[in-house]
Amino acid sequence: MSFSFELNSATLRYKDIDVLSNIDLSINPGEHVALLGKSGAGKSTLLTTLYQQQQTYCALVPQNVALVEALSVYHNVYMGQLNQHNTLTNLLNLLWPQRKPVAEVRQLLKLLELDEVIFKATGELSGGQKQRVAIARAMFQGNQVLLGDEPISALDSVLAEKVMQLLHAQHKTVVLAMHDVDMALCFADRIVGLKNGAIAIDQPAKNLSADDLQFLYLS
Amino acid sequence: MNKPALFVYHRSRAVKTSLLFIFIALVCVLFSDIAITTLHPWQEMKRLAGGLLSPDFSDVRNIAHALMQTLAFAFLGVSIGAVFGFVLALVFDYRLVHMSCAVLRSVHELFWALIFLQFFGLHPLTGVLAIAIPFSAICAKVYAEILEEADRSPYNALPSGSGSVSRFFYARLPLVWVHFKTYTQYRLECGLRTSTVLGFIGLPTLGFYLEVFFKQGLYSQAAALLFTFYILIASIRWWLRPRLILVYLIASLYLLLPDAVSIDWSNVKRFFSEDIIPYPVRMAEDSYSAMQGLLTWLHELFWTQAFDGIIQTLVLTQIALVLSGMLALMLFPLITSHFQGYVGQKLGHGFLVILRSTPEYLLAYIFLQLWGPSMLPAVIALMLHNGAIIGHLCGRYANAIVLPNNPAKGLNLFAWEIVPRIYPQFLAFLFYRWEIIFRETAILGMLGIYTLGFYVDSAFEEIRFDRAIVLIAITALINIGIDSLSRRIRRYLRLKTVVQCS
Amino acid sequence: MSLMKSLLFIFFLFAQVNLYARADNPTRDFVFTAIPDQDETKLQERFGKVAAYLEKQLGVNVKYIPVKSYAAAISAFRNNQVQLAWFGGLSGVKARDLVSGSEALAQGIEDQQFETYFIANTATGLQRSETFPEGIRDKVFTFGSKGSTSGRLMPEYYVRKHFKSSPKEVFARVGFSGDHSRTIALVQSGAYEVGAVNFKVWQSEQQQGKIDNKKVSVIWKTPTYPDYQWSVRGDVDNTWGNGFKEKIRLALLAMNDADLLAAFPRSGFIAASNEDYRPIKNVAKEIGLID
Repeated sequence: MSFSFELNSATLRYKDIDVLSNIDLSINPGEHVALLGKSGAGKSTLLTTLYQQQQTYCALVPQNVALVEALSVYHNVYMGQLNQHNTLTNLLNLLWPQRKPVAEVRQLLKLLELDEVIFKATGELSGGQKQRVAIARAMFQGNQVLLGDEPISALDSVLAEKVMQLLHAQHKTVVLAMHDVDMALCFADRIVGLKNGAIAIDQPAKNLSADDLQFLYLS
Repeated sequence: MNKPALFVYHRSRAVKTSLLFIFIALVCVLFSDIAITTLHPWQEMKRLAGGLLSPDFSDVRNIAHALMQTLAFAFLGVSIGAVFGFVLALVFDYRLVHMSCAVLRSVHELFWALIFLQFFGLHPLTGVLAIAIPFSAICAKVYAEILEEADRSPYNALPSGSGSVSRFFYARLPLVWVHFKTYTQYRLECGLRTSTVLGFIGLPTLGFYLEVFFKQGLYSQAAALLFTFYILIASIRWWLRPRLILVYLIASLYLLLPDAVSIDWSNVKRFFSEDIIPYPVRMAEDSYSAMQGLLTWLHELFWTQAFDGIIQTLVLTQIALVLSGMLALMLFPLITSHFQGYVGQKLGHGFLVILRSTPEYLLAYIFLQLWGPSMLPAVIALMLHNGAIIGHLCGRYANAIVLPNNPAKGLNLFAWEIVPRIYPQFLAFLFYRWEIIFRETAILGMLGIYTLGFYVDSAFEEIRFDRAIVLIAITALINIGIDSLSRRIRRYLRLKTVVQCS
Repeated sequence: MSLMKSLLFIFFLFAQVNLYARADNPTRDFVFTAIPDQDETKLQERFGKVAAYLEKQLGVNVKYIPVKSYAAAISAFRNNQVQLAWFGGLSGVKARDLVSGSEALAQGIEDQQFETYFIANTATGLQRSETFPEGIRDKVFTFGSKGSTSGRLMPEYYVRKHFKSSPKEVFARVGFSGDHSRTIALVQSGAYEVGAVNFKVWQSEQQQGKIDNKKVSVIWKTPTYPDYQWSVRGDVDNTWGNGFKEKIRLALLAMNDADLLAAFPRSGFIAASNEDYRPIKNVAKEIGLID
């Protein structure tokens, strides 16, 4: 059960366009990494690549939340453990939610302040709520590694902080694409900054201040 | 003006293609046979109008019986079609599956019915299978397209190692379920139309009596049947409830089973092992003379019947296609909020429902009685039916358009704001229906217009099933050709696939 | 889900009942049909009475089933869905060719010398003639059913014989009205200018006052030929016992109730044989309607 992310002189493409070229990156177990950069810098592409590299160990919070809106919050979260039960149990649980998983999901949702909407269709929720459902689904997987693509972009600051704490506390390794530099500096122990198709900066967070990272966002 | 970029971008291609098709249609008109040959067409039309205004519902028992039978065939046929279509949609990526579906749906329901009629007779299976087989293939295609277009991101976000069945039911099916339901309901509407038309070849549905009444000029009785049918279609969303489907299915079986006498499988075997073997092969002593005879036979069949049938069918199809499009552009404002108030829209809807739920086969039959034999009845029937369907779809699409604050009015609004916005979609709808119009055109031959259906019907009538099968195969082949041509044109015009109208 | 379950359940049910129906076979109905050559609304009325008569004479359950076309009558006969049929000359020949051992049992007295009338809308100005009416060239013409003897086979034969070309080339337009009543109605209304019709149907509609002589009239009568007959499958004796076929023949020949005979309409029935219809078969071969 050991893994690491390794990219050696890799070129990453998105829709047939080179987004990042010739980059080297390795992430070891236990690291808490924040990816920074302007939108379009290649954060999502990098995350997707990492996810595909180590799917078995990773839980993913995609940027577009990727929820099944016709199903309830409960079902969406339960999907995080679809690989841990047999098909019959899964189907049974789709038609009639079972007591045990419901209790587990409810407990998790309580942490994210979602327990009241547990049986509501996901399509009826607000943007912030949907984002937390996606987070709950990832957390429910109980994996060691969490990959998140701007997972707190739609949350207010109090909730955002709470969620960040949870994410970092419950996963051994965390890689998050972030748009909020202060939040990144606060929670991550390593910052990777992307600019102009390359890794522009890769340093421990404790050595950096927000001003040091300003250049990533200038054109 | 802020014209939608999409349209400006595609303008030249869309407009050029439209002009090309109009030109082809005009050339076809030169080769077509369009005339009113009856000496007193107005007299009969007056009688028809009189009949429509005084429907005679006195024969309640027959009407009720025919209505029940129509519903029963439609329910069973569509249900089986939907279930098989669903299963096939899951494996639609396999070449074998989508090729066989293309073949199955290229043969019209009436041709299927004529085939089954030869060995099952008037057994309920004839009607049920005639609907179920092509409908499975159509549902498979459309369901597969819906699945294809559904958002895959929830599916991709699932933990690795999840079982494929679980994945499907959690992250695929819930996303498309509503579309499946809507489409299947539309399919039931089609099924009711098909079921009605099957009466024309002897099944005990509404068409059976409609044909008799129209033939005998009993327009009041015919009107009663027609109005019953319209009410049935228009009220579909009130009586079609998910919870009632089981009840309907059991009732359908209860209705049809008494006629389901045991099937004599030797008839089925004979049909496939003897009847459809080309006559010279069946009679030949050795394989050389069989081959020789077959070639002469095919050559003769092609040049005396098929060739003429193909030309007539294509000519009629192209004219009907362009006219349907034109009519659709004229009709869609009737149901659009940009042109109509609430009441106007409702009335427009009612009008379009009547036009599109009258099977074109029936329309053509009526016009043929009124105007005599030429292509005219078929052209008008196809135009009205398809124009109303495309008009309905365009209208729905146009209703979703939000206009800038100070829109133009009347004709300006129509020509400058609305039509440019819906035009690409309109073309997509029209090309999507191209193969359907072809299939219908071929079928109308059974009424006496010299399209492929005429020769197919003659072959069945002469108990020459070998010829019938070859002619049906030719029709199917051209149909597949048109389908793929239409797909190419839609891709060339970069039109989004539209699934709701096949 | 529930939809799926219910469908499976229903298929199961369907299979059960079908098996049941199969086991229930011994008391089999004797079924007959007739080509739909006239007004279809009257079919049940016409042949329902005949079914009752045969049931009484034969002592078995007799059922009449209506069919929508000549071909459907032939197919039903061939598939043993009916065992007896009132065919036209051509449909009888085709049907008996397809079922070995089947035979023509009886024909109407008039069927020995049947005729086709060519009729024309009076607006065409065509007059009654003793010789073939050349004036019908380039008119809008209708046959009856595609599979009819008097409405298709014989008129087409004479048209080809006189013009040395096919009807499609001779006439401006060719239609198939479907049945004889319809042919009369369509020529009378002017939908078609000229038509070919079964003379018995013409006479019976004339008697019933359905024909407007100011609008439509007979312009030519074909030479005579054999037409309608009752045909029976060869295997009926196996199912209903030896001598059943002869019993049917006798019942048909003994039919003398005017009300029953009016259904056909014939003045009575006489015995017939397959051989009587050889001329029809030859004509059909000659114009390519059978292989």
